[in-house]
Amino acid sequence: MSDVTVEKPLPFADAVPGAVIEGTETDVVVNPDKLVDFALFLRNEKGYDYLSNLAAVDYQGYKGRTPEDRFEVVYHLFNTKTGGDGMVMRVRLPEDKPELPSVILVWPGADLQEREAYDLFGIKFKGHPRLRRIFLWEGFHGHPMRKDWKEAYYEQDHKPYKSRWPEGHYAWEEDRAPWADNIIYPKGWDPATHVDPPPVLPKIHEPPVTVEHIKTDRIVVNMGPQHPSTHGVFRMIVALDGETVVGLEPELGYLHRNHEKIGERNTWLMNIPFTDRLDYLINMANNFGYVLAVEKMLGDKAKPPERAEYLRVIMAELTRVQSHLWAIGFLLNDLGAFYTPALYTIEERELILDLFEAVSGSRMMVNYMRFGGVKADVDEDWLKTARDLVYNRLPAKVDEFDRFLTENEILKERTIGVGYLSPEDAIATSMSGPMLRGSGVPYDVRKARPYSIYDRFDWDIVTNDGCDVYARYLVRLGEIRQSIRILQQALEQLPDGPIMNKKPAYVFKVPAGDAYAAVETPKGELGFYLVSDGSDNPWRYHVRSSSYINLNALEHMSIGYKVADIVTILGAIDIVLGEVDR
Amino acid sequence: MDLRAIGESFIAWLEGLGIPQGWVLLINWILGALIILGIALLMALALIWLERKIAGRIQDRLGPNRVGPFGLIQPIADALKLLTKEDITPADADRITYNLAPAIAVFHVLMLFVVIPFADKVVGANINVGILYLMAFGALGTMAMLMAGWSSRNKYALLGGFRVVAQLFSYEIPIALVMMIPVLLVGSMNLNEIARGQGSLAGLGWYVWIMPAAFLLYFVAALAEGERAPFDLLEAESEIVAGYNIEYSAMKFAWFYLAFFLNTWILSAIATTLFLGGWQGPFVDQVPALGVVYFFLKTLIMFLAFAWVRATFPRLRIDQMMAFCWKVLVPMALALLLGSAIVVKMGTELNLPGVVTNGLMLVMNIVIVLVTLSLLGRYTRTLHETKNKRLFSPELPRL
Repeated sequence: MSDVTVEKPLPFADAVPGAVIEGTETDVVVNPDKLVDFALFLRNEKGYDYLSNLAAVDYQGYKGRTPEDRFEVVYHLFNTKTGGDGMVMRVRLPEDKPELPSVILVWPGADLQEREAYDLFGIKFKGHPRLRRIFLWEGFHGHPMRKDWKEAYYEQDHKPYKSRWPEGHYAWEEDRAPWADNIIYPKGWDPATHVDPPPVLPKIHEPPVTVEHIKTDRIVVNMGPQHPSTHGVFRMIVALDGETVVGLEPELGYLHRNHEKIGERNTWLMNIPFTDRLDYLINMANNFGYVLAVEKMLGDKAKPPERAEYLRVIMAELTRVQSHLWAIGFLLNDLGAFYTPALYTIEERELILDLFEAVSGSRMMVNYMRFGGVKADVDEDWLKTARDLVYNRLPAKVDEFDRFLTENEILKERTIGVGYLSPEDAIATSMSGPMLRGSGVPYDVRKARPYSIYDRFDWDIVTNDGCDVYARYLVRLGEIRQSIRILQQALEQLPDGPIMNKKPAYVFKVPAGDAYAAVETPKGELGFYLVSDGSDNPWRYHVRSSSYINLNALEHMSIGYKVADIVTILGAIDIVLGEVDR
Repeated sequence: MDLRAIGESFIAWLEGLGIPQGWVLLINWILGALIILGIALLMALALIWLERKIAGRIQDRLGPNRVGPFGLIQPIADALKLLTKEDITPADADRITYNLAPAIAVFHVLMLFVVIPFADKVVGANINVGILYLMAFGALGTMAMLMAGWSSRNKYALLGGFRVVAQLFSYEIPIALVMMIPVLLVGSMNLNEIARGQGSLAGLGWYVWIMPAAFLLYFVAALAEGERAPFDLLEAESEIVAGYNIEYSAMKFAWFYLAFFLNTWILSAIATTLFLGGWQGPFVDQVPALGVVYFFLKTLIMFLAFAWVRATFPRLRIDQMMAFCWKVLVPMALALLLGSAIVVKMGTELNLPGVVTNGLMLVMNIVIVLVTLSLLGRYTRTLHETKNKRLFSPELPRL
């Protein structure tokens, strides 16, 4: 035996020499200097036109890692034309100089995700046009997702006060001087001489036609965080020329609670109810995505039994119906319809929430799915109610909404041609869900890389090539019908049997490694990128939030429209701030 | 039972007390003004309750039902609540204009009540330029909202103020043109005369049957003048939050709210007077007091139509609304006015009987509506084929 191993050639070595450092055809580690060239090669030659997920990981202290490759930026790429499992691209960065080129010009959808990685990890993306903090305020000290970041007071090595309960006094020392010496000022900064930084102004897109002889001023309006139509605490800084939008900058983070950091501190199981709080309208789908990702890491031993698979699909599709109903109702609200359509759609939604309550004990924070199954079984009564809803009530109601809304002249007038996003731009900006399919791209995670048992059902991807708000509305309406189709089949075929593959365990270990799993939620592709070091809580818990990434195209879609339209456009993205800000 | 007779006997009683003529007149005026004021303010409360209840039923919910029987006391409770709220004036606001605006808003609507004939000759001031008076004081309301939008020193309010100027001044034109058509037919600007002119043919003489197009046009333009959906852009909640009255709180806000409802009521009352026969109805010649009942009933029906539209339709966008005014309503109103003038002139020149003139008017109205609708339909069909309707498209920078 010779111990000379045949050097396996690195993948793509002849296409972009020196780009790949190690890896296989579908999982490569890339040299940061060659990143943009290699990304262009993947996009143009290999057809990986869709940057789904961009996550940074801090491997400080991870087994087998050194300060030289402390940080890792992971790109999950997919092909929207052929579907399939896609590929993973990794860039490893040293501790002292975490810098790499931005891929925003290759995949413009990297915009918000790179800003997020910069904000939470301090990784610099050279060439990004507005690399500012996105969730946290500009004066925030440090980058909280780093493993060596300490939360003020609670995690500091030196507590500013000896005891939290000094000699039985009720008045706490820290109440009297809340920060004491626990406050760290940046070098060279003095509160006395501090001047506020200039306010963030949106980039102005000059209209091609200007009236020379009339002197006009632009005004900058803050829409939100307190605004009836921003669907939560979301803020758009809008530059207006009269009523025309010439610049828009989304500002978010008002609901930021560093979900991902908390997720790292929870055990694997504790994260299931925690995902309910992401997008609080589609809790079942959030559960589904997370348990799929963890099951992928656990391997075959966590494979759920048949009945559980069916129950998961039933719950996920019911969630889709109710979320789309909500979206349609509130889109009409944003159009100024004084709550009437919204209240009618909410009525149907309530019936679905009743089903969730019956099976999980809670209408919204369901905490229903488990690794290897679901928490509770459904009984005959539940099935009877569900069948009645799915076979009789919902199809009739959807037809009713269709009849009253779709051909409404004002609705058409307000939505057709508004929020135009071409199919190329939709893919480039990493849109997902109805946003992508409303631009005529037939991409649905359930078909592109079928998970659970979606390949067993007979249903179609709903697309519409209107590329506007009306198309997104029609896609949602169509998807409700398709979901009802899936639900009818699933309720028909629901087998008997156990709902968990083994006795539920509270604490267990997940093998070391990483995994990315995505589900098609009503809002789009919800992915979970998990890294485990083999212990009982995640090393990294990253959420590819569809609401958040769908905001990438907001500025691009809104420029050139009127103030009233941006409300509609935002409403058609259907964001939920719980997931956007995380 | 004649309301005028009651008034005259009251005057006679006052004169019998030995009060000089001038003082009697003054007392009479003040009393009349107070009665109209009382009716208006009480009615506003009832209207608020009614609109909320109607909207609730349309939206498949109950509406106010806690305070008093059927929630009847709810508007009063709301008014009391608003009375106790803090009255805020923004630090940078133009104080005089800011504080004057709500007063003018209510003042102008109350002034409009003066010329509305509640029954035959039961009218605050039976002036012979009633229509002109309505238009003049109607424009004052625009002024109030503009003042509010401008003086609040708030960007949303300013945007609302822009919209006030654009919307209300534009829609004054079709509404004024269309109000001229009944004037042409009657030959008087006196509202009482116009209502009286519709008395023929047992209800078929109402102008809504003779000129449905004009009535329709008035209704649409009145939706805009009354800031009601689908034209409620001045205070579009989902876009500019509350528009011109965003900074107003407590009673100042309540005054705008009051003005809003009274304005809708006045627009309904004008529609009733001009097109629905005013106080005309069965047995009104024998019992003139019945006129008041008929008048309020018809106005209420109009008001319900306004409320119905509000709870049903989404809102138009500002450019669409302006285009609708200038490209549809104004030409249509001009065509109607021209057609009506020709028909009326033909009637008098050729000595046609009234029925023939009215028939010609009806035909002319229907033709204009059909032409407008077909043109509009063709236009919207081409409009819906445009995929990208933005003013200009920025490029997405890509390698």
